[in-house]
Amino acid sequence: MRRSRFPVVVTALVMAFFYLPIFILVANSFNPARFSSRWQGFSLVWYRRLFESPEIWAALKNTLLIAVSVTAVSVVLGTAAAYALHRYGQSRLQRVHYTLIYQPLVVPEILMGISLLMAFVAAGVPLGLFTVFLAHVTFCVSFVAMTVLGRLQDFDFSIVEAARDLGASPWQSARKVLIPALMPGIVAGALLAFTLSIDDFVITFFVAGPGSTTLPLRIYSMIKYGAPPMINALSTLLLAVTFTAVVASQRLARAKR
Amino acid sequence: MNGTPQAHAQPRARACASARAFAVSAASSFAIAGLVAAAVLAAAACGKSKPVLSLYTWSDYIKPELIRRFERERGCRVVLDTFESNEAMYAKLRAGASGYDLLTPSSYMVSLMRAQGMLRRLDHALIPNLAHVDPDYLALASDPAMDHSVPYMISNSGIAYLEGRVRDIVPSWRMFGRQDLRGRMTMFNDMRETVGAALKALGHSINTTDPAELAAAESLLLEWKKNIAKFENEQYKIGLASGEFLLVHAWNGDVFQVRKENPDVRFLVPEEGAIVSCDDLVIPADAREPGLAHAFIDFLHDPAVAAENTAAVSFLCPNKDSYPLLPAEIRDDPGIFMAPEIRARSEFIADIGAANALYVQVWDRLKSAR
Repeated sequence: MRRSRFPVVVTALVMAFFYLPIFILVANSFNPARFSSRWQGFSLVWYRRLFESPEIWAALKNTLLIAVSVTAVSVVLGTAAAYALHRYGQSRLQRVHYTLIYQPLVVPEILMGISLLMAFVAAGVPLGLFTVFLAHVTFCVSFVAMTVLGRLQDFDFSIVEAARDLGASPWQSARKVLIPALMPGIVAGALLAFTLSIDDFVITFFVAGPGSTTLPLRIYSMIKYGAPPMINALSTLLLAVTFTAVVASQRLARAKR
Repeated sequence: MNGTPQAHAQPRARACASARAFAVSAASSFAIAGLVAAAVLAAAACGKSKPVLSLYTWSDYIKPELIRRFERERGCRVVLDTFESNEAMYAKLRAGASGYDLLTPSSYMVSLMRAQGMLRRLDHALIPNLAHVDPDYLALASDPAMDHSVPYMISNSGIAYLEGRVRDIVPSWRMFGRQDLRGRMTMFNDMRETVGAALKALGHSINTTDPAELAAAESLLLEWKKNIAKFENEQYKIGLASGEFLLVHAWNGDVFQVRKENPDVRFLVPEEGAIVSCDDLVIPADAREPGLAHAFIDFLHDPAVAAENTAAVSFLCPNKDSYPLLPAEIRDDPGIFMAPEIRARSEFIADIGAANALYVQVWDRLKSAR
């Protein structure tokens, strides 16, 4: 029987759909034109402009700082929340808890941004990196909790009981049995939290204060007077770093085996 | 989701114990993560003892070296944050965001903020350089006494075209009636700007509230619409750079950027006069460093600084004593420096109150006409 070409064509189309925009972005980062997408020759002008723009690097630093700390905190809180929801999900308190955790997933971002801003103003918290951090944790916790909850639903708690029967302390059984079993869910939640924090615009716009401009805020404000192609250059650099890191970690993992 | 209750009755005690242990471990690692995060955020936020001036402005709207110079001269730190529209900035401040010391909204937004008591009255004794502000522009401004706002950058709309492709250029808004350019021209998708262009072509004020003048403008616009490819504010730059459009309604600052890519692009200000807009320097009522903010306004209107800033950002800082210090190519550019007689015929967009409804009617009929 002749093999159908259909899967190959679909795969190629999906790959093009995913990667063509990225390829165009990388190519345009070397194109000196700002307005026309016509190729005007290879140039590193946007890279030079990028390295001459301290504000962009400050924004990148803010963004990464917030993303890393938000991920760390929301992974812990989200996992604990998922555990409580799963074990005691039938109680009325936990049903309220579930609604609260679910809320940020369905509430429109703009509503959440404005209400957080009003809450911070009412509480007298000065706007800055700390308020952005709190706001991001507020919605990232929900995403982590939902991912870990999914994992917990497939988890067989008799394994934990077996560990306890075999003499493991509560601490040991949690650390050596429960957490490793949940790890895929926790990691997925962490990646989700990191990504959401890095590219959030609407909520961040409202709760950011002086000196806490993040990369999305900076990029958006560049549309009117700035030079957005600089962002092509920055994205290309970030892509290169990510790509190198992934390749290196895969090499290391293979070497270990 | 926990299975049957009976099956759980016995092991639940142990599971509870492990839950408690898990909670303890979660709490301790949360505490650690929280401490690390707090320490990092605190370290990032620390400003030492130096006073901090917080600017909230458009992106790329001030030459970065000038900020460094101000920091050195004053022994302070300048924090620069950016917004992308007047409305977004207003919404945020209105909701209670504070901590900004100096803003650069457009004039119409300044009037609104001032009416709502959001701005601080300026102390002229702290800003001696106000003497250098161009009185010709102040005469057009909504706050000519500079009680609350000082003009920062002036821009104006006009006509941009490709010199090699358009014959017989006449410096008039009536260029949009040229049938040989049908389908290759654009006008702004902006009610006051576009109706204003037609009013100017007829010799009326852009702030008129006379229905007869507006009716005349409407019939002229309906005539022009047959030649216009679209009403549009952003993409015209790309269309002009690539030669898709030959003649467009444009803002001068944008055109200077397009010209860097397509040297055939020219800009003219119609001799009937243009619509001028201005971004102003204002200090919010709840500024933390009003003294430093006054000092920064004074610094920006130092003639040498103003000239350097104008040359860097391609907009005009209306500071009359900075004009002789400008490079010749800027001083001789009629797109930046309007001829005095054209400037006298140019206007700012004013708040016309209830008469706005008349403009909305004209605009709606224009947009829906075939």
